[in-house]
Amino acid sequence: MRWPKLERRKAALVAARDLRDAISELRLIAAMVALTLAIPIASGSGVRALATFGGGTSVVNRLALVGAFFVVFIPASFSLVLALESFVGERERTTLEVLLSTPLREAEIYAGKVAAVLSVSLALCYGGLIVYCLLTFPGLGYFPLGILLALALSTFCQVAAMVAGAVIISLNARTMRAANVMASFIILPMSVVLQVEAALILLGRAEFLWGFALLMTIVAIVLVRMGFNGFSREALLAREVGLKNPFGRALDAVRASFAMRPTFFRLVWMRRIPMLIAAAGFPVGAWIGYLAGSTNVIPAVVLRPVLSSLVRSTGDGGGVEQALTIFGHNLLAFVLVALLAIVTVGVSGFLLTFAPGFILGFAAALSSWSIALTGIVPNGFVEIPAAIIAGGLAIQVGAAAIHMDARGGWSARVLAALADYVRALRWLVPALAVAAVLEVFLG
Amino acid sequence: MLEVDNLAKRYGDVLALEDLTVRVEGGKCLVLLGRNGAGKTTALRCMAGVLPPTAGTVKVDGIDAADDPAAVRARVGLMPEVPGLYERMSARDYLDYFGAIYDIEPGLRKRRISELLELFELADAGDRWLGTFSKGMRQKVALIRATLHRPRLVLADEPTSALDPDSARRAWDYLNYLKSDGCALVICTHSMEEAEHLAGDIGIMSAGRALAVGNMAALRRRSGLKKRKQVRELPTLQDIYLAIVGNHYALAETRTA
Repeated sequence: MRWPKLERRKAALVAARDLRDAISELRLIAAMVALTLAIPIASGSGVRALATFGGGTSVVNRLALVGAFFVVFIPASFSLVLALESFVGERERTTLEVLLSTPLREAEIYAGKVAAVLSVSLALCYGGLIVYCLLTFPGLGYFPLGILLALALSTFCQVAAMVAGAVIISLNARTMRAANVMASFIILPMSVVLQVEAALILLGRAEFLWGFALLMTIVAIVLVRMGFNGFSREALLAREVGLKNPFGRALDAVRASFAMRPTFFRLVWMRRIPMLIAAAGFPVGAWIGYLAGSTNVIPAVVLRPVLSSLVRSTGDGGGVEQALTIFGHNLLAFVLVALLAIVTVGVSGFLLTFAPGFILGFAAALSSWSIALTGIVPNGFVEIPAAIIAGGLAIQVGAAAIHMDARGGWSARVLAALADYVRALRWLVPALAVAAVLEVFLG
Repeated sequence: MLEVDNLAKRYGDVLALEDLTVRVEGGKCLVLLGRNGAGKTTALRCMAGVLPPTAGTVKVDGIDAADDPAAVRARVGLMPEVPGLYERMSARDYLDYFGAIYDIEPGLRKRRISELLELFELADAGDRWLGTFSKGMRQKVALIRATLHRPRLVLADEPTSALDPDSARRAWDYLNYLKSDGCALVICTHSMEEAEHLAGDIGIMSAGRALAVGNMAALRRRSGLKKRKQVRELPTLQDIYLAIVGNHYALAETRTA
């Protein structure tokens, strides 16, 4: 993985100007500082009051952690606004065009702008966190340094991810109005991320939070790299023509994505690496499922109802009805995997083989491998290869979604990957039908 | 200085520029005329090393824009149609920022900024935020920014469209001064007067193609128009305006004295 070349002095020039611009709006900066100070003071005072007036130790400790999360969350959300203003706002006011006409490399402009937004947002986040810690923890007899550091790292990554997301938006939005609408694509996944983080903080386990912070680091690196690759003069200046008849152009793009695609067998060969990854999902899932079942990490009482409901969902009717139900379930899974491939960056494709493998391994842990395997024979001989092919193609869709190129063409690449998936369904859907018949009448 | 051969630029399925070939030597000026959407701005962006050509070559000072676009951009001063100024920066700070980007030594850039602000009668407004500037003042600042680093090639998109006639004349004088200093100019404009004032060669563009490129005599021959029977000797409106404004200022100065 190569990062673009850049001269730090030039990037620092851009960063210094942007920073100056960001803090020159006095009302905005006053509001941000007030929030950054008011929230930690209020939260810290609340926790201390609870400790003073007899709150139980475990409740106070847990609340102290939730307060820390609350304190960094609000300033972190400013980063999206600042980043949109820095990238899309400059594009709208045409100041970016002037900057692009200078000898500065794209990477220097990008790095400078990202550094400026990160500086403001992180100064507010960490400033608030320090104020909160100074107010809350002295004398409390509890200072979860590991959890606070993990929270600080994941906040850094969340801010970086939001800023990188804003850059990707800036490549597709010419106005702040359009950018604000498109910001939902960042806000919605981010809200899910924050809910997960809040749940982990409530659990109070530092190792979970470190795992989460590591995951966020990977996401942030992927997004920042996407921004680096996509932030190009060509992408920012060349797309200002051809805006007429957007629906017609969209239809043409979809049509074009189906043209000149490889045949099914050639496609399988071309996508052998993602398909190998998908194929690995099944044994990996089976192994992890077996471990989860045998070590009781996930108690059988939790998973057994899930397995029972899966069996019940095939229906009590005749063989044809059961076969149709199984076929319908599998087809729905295949369609959902493709739809979710873009937002999950292909993880849904991996889960298509991992999840059945996990269930098989878990069932084997509860009974034995021979009994568990009888559940997937003989239909598995058709169903599993179909899932591997579909999973591999979905992973390819995810890979296309995170691949940005200076020459643009993101939509064309994602549409082509989706077109491959749709074309492959011509083979996969009959395979699923055969598997359903085998499962009901020979299984 | 500027060598453009068979330049073409495609945006998706739109061919914005096709088969453009021009040469501009140092001390010469090429004016590009054409309706909106004729491909003038795209041509300027490709010549400036901002956009990579789809086909053909652009060389500035012998450097191919495809091989080293940053080196080309360092030798070029591009003034886009919209000034694109930072509203919350003073003119001096703004120009200093771009001077630093072009690696002009701090003392030299301070001196140049003062000289150019003086030349364009912006010295008094130099410490005001650019957001408070009029359209014409903004265009002047954009012209200063584009030429601050003494580029070998100046590319300007409608450089005087927002200027009053007096300021426009001053800007033309400045551009002519750069030309006499060995700088090559490419100007896009809708003003025929500006074209006549600045041009050595004129390129007439339509739908992404150069219909004709040459000096006035060559274009006259190409157009097939005969010599006018009646030569207009009446002053133009611009001449009248400048005379009246000039007299008004002269009268005001006399009264004050």
